[in-house]
Amino acid sequence: MIELTINGNSVHAEEGETLLKCALRHGIEIPHLCNHPSLPPYGACRICMVEVEGMRGFPTSCTTPAASGMVVRTDTPALQELRRNILGLMMLEHPSACLLCGRRDLCDEFRPQAEKVGRTTGCHTCNNKEVCEVRSLSEELGFSELPVPPLYHHRPIERSDPFIDRDLNLCILCGRCVRVCKHQHGTSIIEFVGRSSISRIGEAFGRTLLEADCRFCGSCVDVCPTGSLADRYAKWFGKAESTAETTCLFCDEGCALSLGIQQGKVVHAQAVDPDKPLCVLGRFAVAPFMNGFDRLSVPQLRVEDSLREVSWDEALAGAGEKLLPWKGETFALVFDSALPLEDKFYLKAFTEQVMQSPHALEAVPDSKGKAKVVLPHGVKAVLSLGSFIDPAEAEGLELLILQDVYPGALIEKASVVFPAAMFTEVAGTTVDASGTARPLFAATVPPGKARSDRQIVMDLAGAMHETVLSDLEEKLAASLKATGDPVLQCIRKTVPPAAADPSLRRDWFRGRYLPGLIGGLRSLEDGSSFEEKPAPLPSDNRDPAAPPQLFQIIRKREVAPNNHEIVFYAPSVAKKAQAGQFVIVMADEKSERVPYTLCDWDAEAGTITLVVQEKGRSSRKLALMQAGECAAHIVGPLGTPLDIQNFGTVALLGGCYGIGAHIANAKALKEAGNEVLIIMEARSHYLHYYLEELAAVADELIVTTIDGSNGIKGHAIDALLRRMQSGARIDRAITVGCPFMMMVASKETKETGLPMFAALNPIMLDGTGMCGACRVTVQGETKFACVDGPFFDAHQIDWDELKDRRNAYTDAELNSLLTTEPVAHAHHAHSGGCGCGRS
Amino acid sequence: MSEMEKQENAAAPKPKKVRPPRQPMPEQAPEDRARNFREVPYGYTPEMAMVEASRCLDCKKPKCVEGCPVHVDIPGFIRLIQQGKFVESAQHLKEQNALPAICGRVCPQEEQCESLCIIGIKNEPVAVGRLERFVADYERNAGAVAIPELPPATGKRIAVIGAGPAGLTAAGDLVRMGHAVTVFEALQEPGGVLIYGIPEFRLPKEIVKAEVDYLRKLGVEFVMDFVVGRNASIQELLTEEGYHAVFIGSGAGLPAFLGIPGENLVGVYSANEYLTRSNLMKSYLFPKYDTPPIRRQRVAVVGGGNVAMDAARTALRLGGDVHIVYRRAKEQMPARIEEIHHAEEEGVHMKLLTNPKRIIGDDQHRVTGIECIQMELGEPDASGRRRPVPVEGSEFVIEADTVVIAIGNNPNPLIPRSMPDLAVSRWGTILVDEETMASSVPGVFAAGDIVSGAATVISAMGQARTAAATINRYVRGEDIVFPSTKNN
Ligand SMILES: Cc1cc2nc3c(=O)[nH]c(=O)nc-3n(C[C@H](O)[C@H](O)[C@H](O)COP(=O)(O)OP(=O)(O)OC[C@H]3O[C@@H](n4cnc5c(N)ncnc54)[C@H](O)[C@@H]3O)c2cc1C
Ligand code: SF4
Ligand code: SF4
Ligand code: FES
Repeated sequence: MIELTINGNSVHAEEGETLLKCALRHGIEIPHLCNHPSLPPYGACRICMVEVEGMRGFPTSCTTPAASGMVVRTDTPALQELRRNILGLMMLEHPSACLLCGRRDLCDEFRPQAEKVGRTTGCHTCNNKEVCEVRSLSEELGFSELPVPPLYHHRPIERSDPFIDRDLNLCILCGRCVRVCKHQHGTSIIEFVGRSSISRIGEAFGRTLLEADCRFCGSCVDVCPTGSLADRYAKWFGKAESTAETTCLFCDEGCALSLGIQQGKVVHAQAVDPDKPLCVLGRFAVAPFMNGFDRLSVPQLRVEDSLREVSWDEALAGAGEKLLPWKGETFALVFDSALPLEDKFYLKAFTEQVMQSPHALEAVPDSKGKAKVVLPHGVKAVLSLGSFIDPAEAEGLELLILQDVYPGALIEKASVVFPAAMFTEVAGTTVDASGTARPLFAATVPPGKARSDRQIVMDLAGAMHETVLSDLEEKLAASLKATGDPVLQCIRKTVPPAAADPSLRRDWFRGRYLPGLIGGLRSLEDGSSFEEKPAPLPSDNRDPAAPPQLFQIIRKREVAPNNHEIVFYAPSVAKKAQAGQFVIVMADEKSERVPYTLCDWDAEAGTITLVVQEKGRSSRKLALMQAGECAAHIVGPLGTPLDIQNFGTVALLGGCYGIGAHIANAKALKEAGNEVLIIMEARSHYLHYYLEELAAVADELIVTTIDGSNGIKGHAIDALLRRMQSGARIDRAITVGCPFMMMVASKETKETGLPMFAALNPIMLDGTGMCGACRVTVQGETKFACVDGPFFDAHQIDWDELKDRRNAYTDAELNSLLTTEPVAHAHHAHSGGCGCGRS
Repeated sequence: MSEMEKQENAAAPKPKKVRPPRQPMPEQAPEDRARNFREVPYGYTPEMAMVEASRCLDCKKPKCVEGCPVHVDIPGFIRLIQQGKFVESAQHLKEQNALPAICGRVCPQEEQCESLCIIGIKNEPVAVGRLERFVADYERNAGAVAIPELPPATGKRIAVIGAGPAGLTAAGDLVRMGHAVTVFEALQEPGGVLIYGIPEFRLPKEIVKAEVDYLRKLGVEFVMDFVVGRNASIQELLTEEGYHAVFIGSGAGLPAFLGIPGENLVGVYSANEYLTRSNLMKSYLFPKYDTPPIRRQRVAVVGGGNVAMDAARTALRLGGDVHIVYRRAKEQMPARIEEIHHAEEEGVHMKLLTNPKRIIGDDQHRVTGIECIQMELGEPDASGRRRPVPVEGSEFVIEADTVVIAIGNNPNPLIPRSMPDLAVSRWGTILVDEETMASSVPGVFAAGDIVSGAATVISAMGQARTAAATINRYVRGEDIVFPSTKNN
């Protein structure tokens, strides 16, 4: 037994235990980053440094074994300072501004959920926000300054792999992903590439993960402390509301799953034991499969020629009546081997006791899980729990009842269709590959009216006025106790872990080819890639000689990460545009109608300039378009122009897309004789754009950054307040930016008497006053932002309401993702179904 | 035929010809259709149409024609059906009604032509609307829609604002008179309410598209994404752009709200928004289309008109449990009887004599319910309608996660606001000479909901025809009086 002192407490360590492990075991927190409980010690990030009496320097506690008599300190001011410095260095190549923001708490309160974007440039638009280790570490360390301005590498976002998105601009080189891959698969397909400041994580030969034969076990995603590596499906759901453990039943292996659950739906599935990674089915197919758009959810009964959605009572009565004449050997029930034991037990009992037939047929899967059933001679009526029969053979049947999870070819022939629940939705027992019984929990809610397989046959027996199954529960309990009871006999085809050897992965489930349902699996199967459109060319690839077409993109560039400047040919907009107005754009005929502020226009050339932030589906489409392509629709100028008079000195506060909007505002105000002071905020220096253009139209330009890397540290409002406190006269302020920035500006000037106007940006639909989607409350009155606005007296706006109206739509979009996305498209980059906005 | 009618028939002297009963409309069963967006009625077969047509008495002084706002020669087109000349019948119909496939589906015939049908006194009236629909569909499906010979071009250019029924009708008439017509429409697709408001299951968009295509073939130019009042003022259209006359058919697109607390909660929609998301933006086809649908569990729709029925039936199809909340009794609902009937059949619950007092929400500004008060019918007022009065202390809450306000629409103020000398009423409708549809501004005419407030497709069409006729006279140099003072 090793005895040592940590922070004055005497503690015991086990043989070979590291200082970090020992301290953590005793509830003594030592900040750390590259260390991960499921990985061997590494000692790369050095955050976990401690002081040990008698040892030189600051050893890393994650690699230093505990030794008898050691006197260890973990929290001296010197250590804290060192750690802050280390984090500071790390954060130089990370979008770290939000960590340094003085209004961090207010921001978290105003917008607890991260917003979807293409490129993450701060915590508030990072998929990792709610579970981020860097964020909690920075809070713990009181991290508030960067030594020098940070660097943004502009690395392309890697979105061409199935299931996993990578944005290595967020990577802190902790190496966890590289190590976990090596640890689990013996050899890592991801490696550090390059050296020093340009080093990055990548597949060693510059290929995609898919090309490098990645198994998509998702372990790297699970261990990454940042938002660099993300599960594309679960990405924007944030921290799951709850988690539950159950067992995967996609195959016979019986891996333990930990499910992340949101509103009764599974959002993601992870391995319970990090040392036993899941195969791609368990890790990435469970959520899209369970939540598939076209899952069967309502019982259907064939009336005349068409299947009609009916109540359970009707469906069961209909099925019962149809089954009655087929009692005996002419009936067969067919099911997959991957079902809970209880279900199998009931299915057999139903077949044998209610239908009095010996044909409860467990479809025998081949190594890929494909199972077909050859019906015994003379069978005329079948209850099939999947697609196990050839449609041709089904033709010869007198009666086919389907009890299934997805519609398939057989549905055309079915007289009745029962929607069945799936394994995350039912409780029960299964036996894993080692022969151990494993529990299944009803962790998620089945879609619509779907019921468990066993419930359905019990109800069916009830509808047929059979009571033979009524005492089944006891029998079942008894037989479960006695392992190996013949009633539970099931065909076990032990499959070696597919995570280790992808060739062993099961491709079929309930008689259904999984890659046919889930796009990502399809590309694993045939190597088809998700190549996204190539990045927009920096140069103009439009033929300059050709006359422009309506709504054609004349020029396009990414002015700042995630902000795309697009110049469109839209002469009737350009002709009438005035400062402060906006347009509504539809990228293609299926897009949403999305409003964008007019930054600039040229009536003569017939062009307008917009700055588009890549966010949801529709803006992603715009962001991916290139010069020469045309938007489907642009309507505008909309909204009431900015009130232009000679006010004296006008301060223009801008941030995000509001930066561009102020060019036009400044020009117009200046022309009317005003002194124009422009204050532009950005999280960091590399997010500023148009500074020269703004300087050209303003009397004075002040820049602020949240991380202090350029100009004044803080928000635009801080610079304005400072200016006012110094006695400068400001007659009016106009603020354009995200609601948070505008809300802060309004709240903090309320008492000063400064008239302030904010350009509101609620969700809009038509933009002409027809729908009322854009309602906002100003001074207790309802206004339509699209016609009465966008500018309103900032001090009279109900910001809370505005925030909630915007937030709740985000929710609706996310939830509709879970319930309405067709599984076939869930992971396919080109389908637009993944909600990541990709077209 | 009801028992009583049978007895009556038996008692009456035997007519020479036994009149067949009114042919019922074949339609999707309520259980099926409440789950899909396909059109509810299938339409008559030629055989059914001929049987139904045979019921018409071909009256000397047809009452039905009086009931029709555009005075369609009803016995005339029915006669052609009797003779099996369906295409000819459609063409005859189109002489007065430019959009029969649409009117046959959405007109309130029970209050118009059919309400005056002589047979209707003792029996059920001739199904004029269904026959109208039948011939129009027949012609279209047979690909027999002919492009008529156009008169020589007059060289006159007419701007039509709004591509709703009023605008489409005016454009069709004017182009057939030899004028060059440009239609300016704010939204991305022509059709007005027909495309953004009335749902697919009641009026397939394909039919609206076919009508628009037909106008395009006639030479009408459509400029979409163009908001008059923003991209150009009417004055500019008349001067800089060189149009000889302007027709305003911009409709009643401003949604009315109740003015009760809680109306800006998340989950409260105007019917316009709710329906536009589904119809124009095709959110029910999400994720093929990008606009996410509003799928909720408990939907309350406030109002009793066609718009309320459309919103309720749309909500049902999106999978919700739907309540209509209406202040008065069922008989007083302004919606078409057929629509109320369809809604009830499909499973929409009616909360009648129920008046919303406030909408209740949670701490995240999300709707959780509506507090309502029970009403009862009081004394008849001057108009003879019994007014609903609240029952003291009868407040109760209807649970809801979505509330759709469908209590009506007001005229869109965008155009009047951009043109101060255009005389408007206190409700914002454009004031016109009803004989000619001329507005207070020379060269400017108006028709449809922008003139009459939210009304009907057929009345918009009727007014548009009048306006087109006047515009024709105006641009050919006849004197037209533009009422300068604000009458009524
Ligand atoms: C949901 C719903 C259901 C209905 N059901 C029925 C029914 O069953 N039967 C019936 O008879 N009636 C019904 N109505 C009423 C009927 O649709 C209207 O009376 C009719 O559409 C009015 O026609 P309109 O051409 O005047 O206007 P609208 O159809 O409203 O068309 C106006 C067009 O003008 C455009 N516009 C507006 N302002 C401008 C501008 N400034 N510049 C350019 N374009 C502009 C609009 O975008 C719109 O497309 C219903 C209405 C609704 C909302
Ligand atoms: S990974 Fe994301 S949430 Fe974490 S610090 Fe970086 S940007 Fe912020
Ligand atoms: S990608 Fe994530 S896990 Fe991998 S090195 Fe970067 S931060 Fe660490
Ligand atoms: S966006 Fe529809 S009224 Fe403003």
